[in-house]
Amino acid sequence: MVTRKLVFISLLVVALVVMGCTPTTQIVKETVVVEKEKVVKETVVVQSTPQVKEVAKEVVVTATPKPTDAPNSVELNGSGATFPQPLYEDWAFAFNQRDPSVVINYAGGGSGQGIKDIKAGTVDFAGSDALLKDADYQEKPDLQMIPTVAGAVVLAYNIPGVTTTITLDAATIVDIFLGKIEKWNDPRLAALNPEVKFPDLPINVVHRSDGSGTTNIFTLYLSAVSEEWKKGPGAGTAVDWPVDKLGRGQGGKGNPGVAAAIQNTKGAIGYVELAYAKSNNILYAKLINAAGKTVEANIPSTMAAIKDAKFDDRLTAIIVNSKEPDAWPIAGFTYLIVNKDYKDCKKAEKLVSFIKWALTDPAASSRAAKLLYAPLPQEVLPRVVEVLDKITCNGKPVVSQ
Amino acid sequence: MISAQVRRRLRRKTVSPLGRALQHGDILFKGALILASLSLLGLMVGVGVMLWLRSAPMRTSAGLAFITATVWNPVGEKFGAAPFIIGTLTTSLLALIIAFPLGLFIAIFLAELCPPGLRSIVGFLVELLAAIPSVVYGLWGIFVFIPSFVIPIGEALMKSLGDPQRFPYLPIFQGPFFGASKLAAGLILAVMILPTIAAISRDVLLAVPRSQREAALALGSTQWETIWQVVLPYGLSGILGAVILGLGRALGETMAVTMVIGNVAQLSASLLSPGYTMASVIANEWGESRTPLYNAALIEIGLLLFFMSLLLNILARSLVWSVARKTPEQRA
Repeated sequence: MVTRKLVFISLLVVALVVMGCTPTTQIVKETVVVEKEKVVKETVVVQSTPQVKEVAKEVVVTATPKPTDAPNSVELNGSGATFPQPLYEDWAFAFNQRDPSVVINYAGGGSGQGIKDIKAGTVDFAGSDALLKDADYQEKPDLQMIPTVAGAVVLAYNIPGVTTTITLDAATIVDIFLGKIEKWNDPRLAALNPEVKFPDLPINVVHRSDGSGTTNIFTLYLSAVSEEWKKGPGAGTAVDWPVDKLGRGQGGKGNPGVAAAIQNTKGAIGYVELAYAKSNNILYAKLINAAGKTVEANIPSTMAAIKDAKFDDRLTAIIVNSKEPDAWPIAGFTYLIVNKDYKDCKKAEKLVSFIKWALTDPAASSRAAKLLYAPLPQEVLPRVVEVLDKITCNGKPVVSQ
Repeated sequence: MISAQVRRRLRRKTVSPLGRALQHGDILFKGALILASLSLLGLMVGVGVMLWLRSAPMRTSAGLAFITATVWNPVGEKFGAAPFIIGTLTTSLLALIIAFPLGLFIAIFLAELCPPGLRSIVGFLVELLAAIPSVVYGLWGIFVFIPSFVIPIGEALMKSLGDPQRFPYLPIFQGPFFGASKLAAGLILAVMILPTIAAISRDVLLAVPRSQREAALALGSTQWETIWQVVLPYGLSGILGAVILGLGRALGETMAVTMVIGNVAQLSASLLSPGYTMASVIANEWGESRTPLYNAALIEIGLLLFFMSLLLNILARSLVWSVARKTPEQRA
């Protein structure tokens, strides 16, 4: 008797060990199945009165799989840039209302993460603020960038005694970030703002500490207006800031980190996304653009910046320092990265219809504008649609409504 | 006393060799325990091997120079880990210098002098402090700790000891100072590791046998002498263990430090200037790192942090052992 019991226990232990060696996902699945059965059984046992029967039925109904698991539904997974994340999530929600069979999940994690993920094939699409490099296209010729919306970057500041909006131009911004303009009472700043009385205070520059598409747009602008910046720190999602070497720079994590650092540091200036600055009532500077006009950052001026966007063969465009008279000079597109060919036809079809809807439907554009993203200019749309129509599954064109 | 029934059972069990092998749960249980312990070792080796392999591009391109190089320029693909290593060591040591005496004092008070009613309340508060998530410490650091505590201290230090005319050879307190700094990170880390050190040291001191204190008092020692010459030496190895745990937390702490250190990858002697730590740079830049070399550089920083924690732990562990060996009479 006891021996048999011991043998049974030992077999159980061996089974557990074997289970431990198999991939964890299997175990999880098994336990889930068991739990579901338990729930159903229990409810069946309980149903003795008609009322309880109703409840039991309901329980069973809620226990059935979500629509994502239904045979006709499609789950599209994306990851990447955090800058457009609120918009993509909003679009995903709205598109799911239109077509309940499609569930779109977008996880942030940064442009770099998105590019790593789509290269590895773990996601169906990626979001990125930064452009793919030649090496990326050589490694994966299948990748295609699709612009979605544009956003603006503004310069927020905290100068004790200054509560009005100050004006800056390209040369002063570059020299502040190069560390050449050291104090707020610099004559060049005073010349641009004759009505403002600047204090005798060192300038502290706040930049993003995390790799960021916002940094990429801002440093692209600095590189576009200054040869010295282009040759020195250059443009990228994270750069070697010259002011850091002078002890007058600091990095904050994310837009909130930069905003908090500016708020806490007397004499600080830093760059944040327009959408963030606006929704948090942060004071940000007016700029003198390439056309020599003083402009304020808002949706119309961002739209003006993308009006003359010249898209190249890869469907990408750099729009900093636009020549348009009303354009905000520090702006950039954010992109979706998709594959040109998908293995799963259902996924490909739904992905194409989602992107088409997001870029061409006025309802989607108004959702973007509400979140302070500038939608694509009408002139580009035919080209984007043309590229989307070329997406195939297993070499055959995707059938799309 | 073995009853007749049990004796019969035992006799019956010695039948087949397989039955004999399995009859005692001992063998199986031992196996399960060994497996559990080995999985820990496997995890450790697995993490190390992964970091080693994934950092290959950086290791082959820069070699050991990676550790001493001071430039971190992702655009130009120039990577050096020195600012991060120095930043991690500086902030952790600063935290330890502040938190160790404070924590020890709290522990002595709680274990030796505190009235029993207050002891449980203060003890509970100390343990509660250890349970606060680090990101909450970071938020508190940005909005309360830096403006109302770090900035006044930093400015006072800068104006007194940091005066380059009076103390030209004391660069660690020289300005400029804006708030976010290695000082802020070190202070916030001190706050974070204080409960760890205090709580464990208190438990160690409470575990010192009453007979030791009574013997010291009987020989005519004052309470002060009893604490410093009997109780503390007795619990020294345990207190060192508390310090190791605190140091471990300080080395790997990411979120709170990132939020207050200023994240500037530059070498500077001043504690008042912003810095960067190894854990922070990985957390900050991993999401947007694009090129294979950039990724490998971040992973190699992870590898260095892994080795550094390992090395410090081994060092500290051997210190504990040597201390424990010197006082053999206390281990019964």
